[in-house]
Amino acid sequence: MQILAISPDPNTKSQELADRLKARYRFLTDGDLALTRRYGLVHARGGPNGEDVPIPTTVVIDRHGIVRWLKLADNYQVRPDPTDVARAVRAL
Amino acid sequence: MSRSWPALLSVVLSLGAVVGYFALLRVPAIRNHPALYVLACALAMAIAAVASWRAPRWPNLTALAISAVLLVLGGYFNFVFARVPAAGTTLRVGEAAPDFTLSDATGAPVTLASFRDRTPVVLVFYRGYW
Repeated sequence: MQILAISPDPNTKSQELADRLKARYRFLTDGDLALTRRYGLVHARGGPNGEDVPIPTTVVIDRHGIVRWLKLADNYQVRPDPTDVARAVRAL
Repeated sequence: MSRSWPALLSVVLSLGAVVGYFALLRVPAIRNHPALYVLACALAMAIAAVASWRAPRWPNLTALAISAVLLVLGGYFNFVFARVPAAGTTLRVGEAAPDFTLSDATGAPVTLASFRDRTPVVLVFYRGYW
């Protein structure tokens, strides 16, 4: 399983931390939110300075590139429970 | 001092709920139930309100003020500020995820399709750190 963490930030530090923890994370930069927009995951003016930000979203994609599990946040404090995501991946 | 216990309980409950929530953000069961800190502040305010009604002394009134402020701020944060509007996502369960290429932290390009037939992929979109 490969985790791709996507945000507008470069996140060099996050990648260094993930590497140190041997976590299967790769941090990708969507600087202009082009992908976030294409996937319809923009929270318009949701940032602290009124800028567009991604809606916190988790997507599980199988080996054939098909979306199998999808969770969009309706409150940015709340994230999917890691055990639910793990179960969705194991079910593939 | 013994008559101050409702005020003390109220302050500990409201402050403890807010501090505890942020201290335990890493625990999914805590983090994913933010309404609990609002509920705790409401309970703390109810305790302080009853105590203030029975004995309008400064410990009770202070506890009432603290819990009222935390209830308003916490309620606003959870029910208004942290709300994310529903989005018209183009992703559908059972359909292919459109391919993309983005740069990783070292600048190297990563393409979604490169994982095909190799391993499942979990995409985590997050807001960033600012």
